Amino acid sequence: MSFLVQAYAFFYQFADSFAFLVLCGLGLAIIFGMMGVINLAHGEFIMCGAYVTVLSARAGLPLPFAMLCGTLAAGLVGLILEFLIIRRLYHRLFDSIVATWALSLIATQGMLIVAGPSIEGLKTPFGSFELGDYSFSVYRALLPLVALLLLGALYWLFVRTRFGIYSRATIQDADMARALGANTSRIYSQTFALGAALAGLTGALYAPTMTAVPTMGQAFIVQSFVSVVVSGADVMLGLAPAAAVLAFIQSLLTKSYGQLIGQIGLLLTVIVVVRVLPKGISGWFLQRSGGR
Amino acid sequence: MPRWLALLDGPQTLGRGPAFWSVFGVIAVATALLPTFVNAFAITNLTYFLVWVFMALGLSLIWGYSGILSFGQTAFFGLAGYAYGVISINLGDAGLWTWFALLVSLILPIVLAVVLGYFMFYGGVRDVFVGIVTLSITLVFETFMAQTAGPEWTIGSARLNGFNGMSNMPPLTFPWGESPIIFDGPAFFWLVLALVVVVYLGLRILVNSRFGNVLVAIRENPDRAEMLGYNVRLYQLLVFVIGSVLAGMSGVLYTLWGSYITPSSMGLTAAALPIIWVAAGGRKDLTATLLATVLLTWLSQQLAVKGNQYALIWMGAILLVVVLFAPEGLFVTLWKKLRGRKRTRQATAPKAVSSPSA
Amino acid sequence: MAAILQTRGLKKYFGGLYAINGVDLSIEEGELRCLIGPNGAGKSTLFKLILGSYEPSEGTILFKGDDITSLRPHLRVQRGLSIKFQVPGIFLALPVEQNLRIALQRAFRGAALEQELERLLALIDLEHQRSELATNLSHGQQQWLEIAMAVALQPAVLLLDEPTAGMSPEETFKTGELVKKLNASGMTIVVIEHDMAFVRQIAKRVTVLHFGQVFDEGSLDDIVRNEDVVRIYLGKV
Repeated sequence: MSFLVQAYAFFYQFADSFAFLVLCGLGLAIIFGMMGVINLAHGEFIMCGAYVTVLSARAGLPLPFAMLCGTLAAGLVGLILEFLIIRRLYHRLFDSIVATWALSLIATQGMLIVAGPSIEGLKTPFGSFELGDYSFSVYRALLPLVALLLLGALYWLFVRTRFGIYSRATIQDADMARALGANTSRIYSQTFALGAALAGLTGALYAPTMTAVPTMGQAFIVQSFVSVVVSGADVMLGLAPAAAVLAFIQSLLTKSYGQLIGQIGLLLTVIVVVRVLPKGISGWFLQRSGGR
Repeated sequence: MPRWLALLDGPQTLGRGPAFWSVFGVIAVATALLPTFVNAFAITNLTYFLVWVFMALGLSLIWGYSGILSFGQTAFFGLAGYAYGVISINLGDAGLWTWFALLVSLILPIVLAVVLGYFMFYGGVRDVFVGIVTLSITLVFETFMAQTAGPEWTIGSARLNGFNGMSNMPPLTFPWGESPIIFDGPAFFWLVLALVVVVYLGLRILVNSRFGNVLVAIRENPDRAEMLGYNVRLYQLLVFVIGSVLAGMSGVLYTLWGSYITPSSMGLTAAALPIIWVAAGGRKDLTATLLATVLLTWLSQQLAVKGNQYALIWMGAILLVVVLFAPEGLFVTLWKKLRGRKRTRQATAPKAVSSPSA
Repeated sequence: MAAILQTRGLKKYFGGLYAINGVDLSIEEGELRCLIGPNGAGKSTLFKLILGSYEPSEGTILFKGDDITSLRPHLRVQRGLSIKFQVPGIFLALPVEQNLRIALQRAFRGAALEQELERLLALIDLEHQRSELATNLSHGQQQWLEIAMAVALQPAVLLLDEPTAGMSPEETFKTGELVKKLNASGMTIVVIEHDMAFVRQIAKRVTVLHFGQVFDEGSLDDIVRNEDVVRIYLGKV
């Protein structure tokens, strides 16, 4: 009996990390993996989603609507920023890194000044359940399912809808896509906004589980980059396996040595993967199947 | 004039000739004389700004001149800083032990840079992935040091102390009979100033030399550089190591300045600041980087002093504006505009010795 | 005359197909060889294999009698190989003069370097544009600049990948004369070309590549007379 409980505890931890890595990585993967833009302000879009969610919920909106607000707010900000700034930097890698870092700095400090060091948070819904000596949050146990659902939804979006197909075409070869009638600048901004909205959704989903502080983006950005780098450019193919591998490593290390060592383990994994599988897991899959 | 001295001017640096060097000389001498008519507090502040110059120049060398975007400079900074703390606390300040500590603290970043550089450059890690790997190393360091708060984290008699930071390390001390020279206050200021001048001049010579020409070639087109017979990976490794020593120098001097070092000097924000200075001034030029570093560190201090919480917002805004409107950096863009106007005025004059447009 | 550059059983596999599928090539010292073939035949890939940008899946490469198959590219260049890429591989953001200096500085110093720099600038007619940024040159001038950089190394074997791409007929002719002049001074040159007028201007011996293999080899007249070659690719001579 006790062994099953231990096993579930480990699985719960694993699934929790898995969900976190997938959700963190989604928005960034769309923007980096598909568009080649390094968005160092990704954590701040997450923060934006979290803050708007908390404030809307405190203002009286039911939680799911508050989360919707958070997601849309982040998407809107993404749209605006893409229009004003990002679109000038598409073929300037270093400059986009520096610019998004600047945005991140401004956003973090700005939020600190406007909203103070922290705001009163939300209660995690659905309570908890107990197994043996452990108590588990129902909400967090459900998040992995949400992550998988989102992956499925995105797959459908990119493979079955017109937007998705145009988007992938534009990203592969913008000139060709334009020649075929796609409004490429609109697609770039929509794709960027989608990435921002997904980040906002992540913030919204995790808002009830943590305190909203202006620097919370930093806690997410590391995980985001880790999962995107290990995943490789093809989000659909690589993100879930990448998150699974990383979650496993992190859970194992955290269990034996604690949080911080778990974090270090993730970072070291990234370093090894960059060296050994430079195109990430999806690149490795594609190479093995003999394509491209 | 010996050939190496002539390299102080060259295609990779802005500013040349008697006009430039007279101005440089005047500024250097004036700065050296400051302690005689400015109060000690101001001197301490100025020393603080100068301490960061090495880090910035190192980043300019690696990123601006060689095209390697490394976010790992703060790791070398922290490693050297902590090393000085640990070694000097353990060995004390008698005799030349503090200088020994300084030396060893600079050797450790070299070792790390060689290992990391070999791993990356000889392993085919390129472009943005260099940034990712180096950033990961920096974060590993910060995360690791952050959890060293407990008393069991002690090397010899030096407690690492996690986020509380390590303090009370002795200043550089030179034995001099009855009263050893302690490099504090003005003495420390002069030491740092001297180092800034030596490093700045040395780097100018380096980047204008044949070695510097190859660095720029590698930045512009690494495949072509390789096809001209240059061992690109070795050059990248070497420049990475030089950059690490410079970052380490800032680290040790920072620790000496405040007698204090903490993991937050290795965090994400700390890693961002040198990039801001270098990008704002002009990463492809040493002088622009130097000026921007001193100016921006002074500016953010002014903002902090006036109770202005907007310091980092201003920094971010400056950076954004520069990237969008003057991507080569403020000082570089200004310089080129001024030179451009001068050149059109001289357009009718007979063509003098052709000089490369830097 | 000894073979200065040889490939034996060279193969290169790229996730799905053999770009080079068993090439035995032998270039003699002092030769001026043209490499032709339809698009996708593997010509540029062959050059990249010889220089070391790609690692072969099978086979060996011999240069001056030594096996260089596992040597890094810069070491091959140091031994006397040089290449002009298909897409101009010059330092666009640097002035013309600086481009040449970087090419020259390994072998030359001081006054000798300055002299050689002048000679090369005169060779490619860019003396008055020496301070111009390379990116501001016309396409033809950029090609010449790259040829000059490749030649600055004083290589024993020079590989030129489509040197006249994008050039006007006059520029093409000038390039041909330049190539012949370099060859006359003893440099072994291998040229990939599509422009048949150019090939006719310079070629003594021609190798035809098709689907990663040597399809035919001989003088241009022999090649042209081979109906299969005409069929696979020429359409105009």
